[in-house]
Amino acid sequence: MTELSSILRREMALKLLKSGFIPEQVVATEAALSCYGYDATRQQTEPLLALLPDNEKQLKTILKIAGEKSLKIFPRGAGSGMSGGSIPAEDGIIVSLTRMKQILEIDEDNMIATVEPGVITGELQEAVSRRGLFYPPDPASLAFSTIGGNVTENAGGPRAVKYGVTGNFVMGLEAYLVNGEKIKCGNKCIKSVSGYDLTSLLVGSEGTLAIISKILLKLLPAPETVKTSLLAFSSMTAAAQAVNAMFKQQINPSTIEFLDQHSINAVRPALPFTLPKAADTVLLVEIDGPEATVKTQAEKLNRLFQDEALLIIDAENETEREKLWQARRKLSPAIANIAPHKINEDIAVPLAAIPEIISRLESLSKEIDLPIVCFGHAGDGNIHVNVMLDKNDPSQAIRGHKAIDRIFTLTLELGGTLSGEHGIGNTKSAYFNKEWTPATIATMQALKKAFDPGNRLNPGKIFPLK
Amino acid sequence: MREQSPQPNRAFSARTQGHFRWAQISTLIRTFSCFFKPKITCKVLTHKIDIMTQSELAQELKKCVKCGACMAVCPIYRQTGREEMVARGKLNLIEIISRNQELPDAWIEAVDNCLLCCSCEENCSKGVKITEIIAAARIRQTAAQGLNPLKKGAFALLKNRILSIARFIKLGSLLQWLLWRRLPRHSGLIRRLPLPGTDEKTVIPILPRRNLDDILKKRKPDPDLPPVLFFPGCATRYLQPQMGLDLIYVLEKLGFNAVVPAEFKCCGMVTWGAGDAVSNLKLKASNLKVFAANAAIKTVVTGCASCGHALKEYDNLPPESEILDISEFLFRHREKLEKLLKGRQSRKKITYHDPCHLRKGQGITKEPRWLLKLIAGENFVEMSHPERCCGAGGTFGLTHKELSRKILKEKTDAADATGAEIVTSGCPGCILQLTEGAVVADSKWLTKHPLSLLAGLLRSRN
Repeated sequence: MTELSSILRREMALKLLKSGFIPEQVVATEAALSCYGYDATRQQTEPLLALLPDNEKQLKTILKIAGEKSLKIFPRGAGSGMSGGSIPAEDGIIVSLTRMKQILEIDEDNMIATVEPGVITGELQEAVSRRGLFYPPDPASLAFSTIGGNVTENAGGPRAVKYGVTGNFVMGLEAYLVNGEKIKCGNKCIKSVSGYDLTSLLVGSEGTLAIISKILLKLLPAPETVKTSLLAFSSMTAAAQAVNAMFKQQINPSTIEFLDQHSINAVRPALPFTLPKAADTVLLVEIDGPEATVKTQAEKLNRLFQDEALLIIDAENETEREKLWQARRKLSPAIANIAPHKINEDIAVPLAAIPEIISRLESLSKEIDLPIVCFGHAGDGNIHVNVMLDKNDPSQAIRGHKAIDRIFTLTLELGGTLSGEHGIGNTKSAYFNKEWTPATIATMQALKKAFDPGNRLNPGKIFPLK
Repeated sequence: MREQSPQPNRAFSARTQGHFRWAQISTLIRTFSCFFKPKITCKVLTHKIDIMTQSELAQELKKCVKCGACMAVCPIYRQTGREEMVARGKLNLIEIISRNQELPDAWIEAVDNCLLCCSCEENCSKGVKITEIIAAARIRQTAAQGLNPLKKGAFALLKNRILSIARFIKLGSLLQWLLWRRLPRHSGLIRRLPLPGTDEKTVIPILPRRNLDDILKKRKPDPDLPPVLFFPGCATRYLQPQMGLDLIYVLEKLGFNAVVPAEFKCCGMVTWGAGDAVSNLKLKASNLKVFAANAAIKTVVTGCASCGHALKEYDNLPPESEILDISEFLFRHREKLEKLLKGRQSRKKITYHDPCHLRKGQGITKEPRWLLKLIAGENFVEMSHPERCCGAGGTFGLTHKELSRKILKEKTDAADATGAEIVTSGCPGCILQLTEGAVVADSKWLTKHPLSLLAGLLRSRN
């Protein structure tokens, strides 16, 4: 920390305290600041300051004061991102929105919730479910990630198969531009085509365009019941065909998760039930909806695959359901036993390309001599690819890096995308121009410039560094 | 939960009996020296309390991948929203401040702001031993700054034979009425005049004239019944002896003779939490002597969640001896108990709060619920999030009153929402905190240990 920045830090902190911030909201000591320089990607930096506004007025004050000093601003939610979206990669201040956590309104008549960005997604779900309503997006981190983070990264989740991702539920937003002006986009109308759809633009913009201060979210009636089944298949192709068959037979699952052979082998000892040795792919299928429909669809599912599947287990109650989900929940710690480190990417491919990409990844794994473990969302083509390695071994580290490059190439060849739900952040920005043409990137950058001419809002994210 | 130490130091247990003091001093010198002399890598203490060596600590810290799952359950983070206050932030601070560095305020505040409720540990997919790390950090802090004088005084009472906690409380029981008055509905005291560190809603326990040991002096146990060792714990012993009598009564009804050695000292939990390794070690060694002297009795029961949690972590317990929470013990003898109750049930609506040291510390959730269903049948209702900490956290409620009250408020709201008349919990600390919660929120429900309800039913004639 240079002397200049420590003077700046003190000056800023004093100014904020004078304008009504309480000490708890101004993190200005070096040790504490180190806690605002990381996320789930294990990068470690230290911002100049970390500020935790309580309301819009304070957010505006921060933007004004930061503007006077032309400081860079890094918005942050829970800091649980998987692509470094909130990492203060350059000198600048963190604006943590965790204290703006009011559920402002649950409008039951219009089925819309109005929330502040710091609301924990799981808590919103709990609050709306008490009124018989349902907010479907369910990223794995929902118990601790904020809705603001979900919106800016456009987080997905297992239920995306039936319901879509976070973005599909954002009806409107209020956000602050870096110059402190507020913009409003969207509204409570289901049909709304007045002007450019800035809501969709801000969704998934990774905090590079504006700081979101209020979110309107669409809600649905809560499904009456959920039925969970686990199906084991002898090959990925058979499993992929099964997924296809489900849709064709008018079965409408809310979730279809899959585990590949390596995942199955890793998690098998931790499971409260036995999986056949020949199981190459496991599907975890959930069907939700009215009692009667769920029952008939589940029966249909059983009938349809009773010959092809090696095993079908239906959960009869909540305990059994939880048991089946162990296959997915115990997976992350289980694969950690394969190698000390993992590089995990969350590529997505069109549904039909799943068997192809899995087989290509299998041969890539042999070629680079590192285990590649895949699991994820078979219903929407979003695959979590984990290259398992020991980063302390230089040869493995190089091969791991090479593998990631190849994985992205393969994905894009099959019409896929670099990221299904984690975002680009600063961990994948180097590969960004693999996916998009120069003209496309230039258009995106022009938009960025229109919102943030000085490149002060979350710089170093999405776009490759020149 | 915590793994057993791979190589328990046998030499130590021998030493504890003979030349305890010397062994202890030399161990402690090694303990604290590990903070200052990086080269020492010995396994510092032989007990489980005990702090990890530097290399163990470093390895444990490395396990955290900063996924953030601790944020979902940490009661402190829930209230503050501050990253330094959640496990991953605390571990980050503990990791970056090296051994030789002075402790920055943020470090001290973060380490201080922990209830040791184990919620993060229960929710950690990497199995990081977070509470042990925090305890180690507190030992470091105590070594650097010394212990808070109030705690120092209190811990001295726990250890000292002459100026003992028992005598201190007896004195207090005479003087308490000068400054405190009885609560109208609940069991507890509330201040008469402004006292430092309290407000008009602070509830303290009534200090009884006669503690459990005094009362038990006149007891004539039936020596023919199979014996069970009963570890009452300080709260039961000195503050709520009735709880201890209830437990002894229930054991007798089930056909067991409760053996209650007066030599038992504090389980050590409170000193462990305060980073006072010296006191912790002394208390444990005293207790281990008592356990060794009663080694013939294999079953040890306690009605206190924290004591049970602490005792289960003891190394060098006599072989085959087994520590059980009273709910576990009763569950094992459920058939007999069901017969004894003859279908008698409480007609009051009852709910239950999971003590952290029972649920997260010992993994016990099923047995207390079985017991309450036995006691109240359909009248037992779950509150929302029974697993959330009540904010007591040993002395946390006293040292961080405002934050503790905020945490407590959510708990009392959840209890209110059930419409229950009695809120139960298997931990004297939680019970006291919940009582304060009821006073603060002006709620109608009473707080009880499930065991007291059971004893009440067994005593009732029907």
